[in-house]
Amino acid sequence: MIDTNVNLEIKLPKVPDIELVAIQGLEKMGRYFGISEDKIGEARVLVTEAIINGLEHGGDGNPYVQVEFTMTKDKLIILVTDYGKGFDPDKVPNPDIENKLVSTNKRGWGLKLLKSMSDDLIIESKPTGTKISIIKNLS
Amino acid sequence: MSTDFNIISEIHNNTLVMRTEGYINNVAGEKISEEFTKNFVSGINKVVMDLGKSKVVNSIGISYLIDIIEKLNEHNSKLIFTNLDPTIEKTFNIMGIFQFAQKADSVEAALK
Repeated sequence: MIDTNVNLEIKLPKVPDIELVAIQGLEKMGRYFGISEDKIGEARVLVTEAIINGLEHGGDGNPYVQVEFTMTKDKLIILVTDYGKGFDPDKVPNPDIENKLVSTNKRGWGLKLLKSMSDDLIIESKPTGTKISIIKNLS
Repeated sequence: MSTDFNIISEIHNNTLVMRTEGYINNVAGEKISEEFTKNFVSGINKVVMDLGKSKVVNSIGISYLIDIIEKLNEHNSKLIFTNLDPTIEKTFNIMGIFQFAQKADSVEAALK
């Protein structure tokens, strides 16, 4: 009989490709519950984007992100916390491909992907850090 | 999961085919960009990018692909992605990539 609720907590340092460690954990949890590859793939995008955002905006004094997954067969909750100076999500422009093609800055897609791939997204940001909470339905 | 990234390029008539393997992040994006610049020579009017062996991409890596699309648009050339993982295809759809690039099931189909 499998557990109905599995939790994983990791503190990730700011080193290249460290998000892949979290993805490995996510994939193993997903397969444990028999989650479809499509849903695991979408969750992979959410985890990747939330972590690289956290590491990019995290503070130099505490260059880590705290990552927590809670998974059931129906739902995944992803919490990613950084310790940077925070940001106002309402002031992040919504990227548009036509504008990006002619812009020197081709980046800035992370938040759009988080909103689009998730079923619920909450961003709590203050001058001492940011916590991103993501809910992804898996069934 | 390996973090190694590789890219192989070949030219078929007027088409540049680039095949990636591994995680497409900022470092891989730079490698793709360098490989494209090196091989996008006069006469090339189509670029096929086969991502069949890249199952994970991040938005920073994709920003380098958008830069390639911009350069191809300037030369009236086109980019065709092949063998896309369903999640990557969904990601590209969300970003609107297919307004300015195409997709095909295989390199062979893209070369036709």
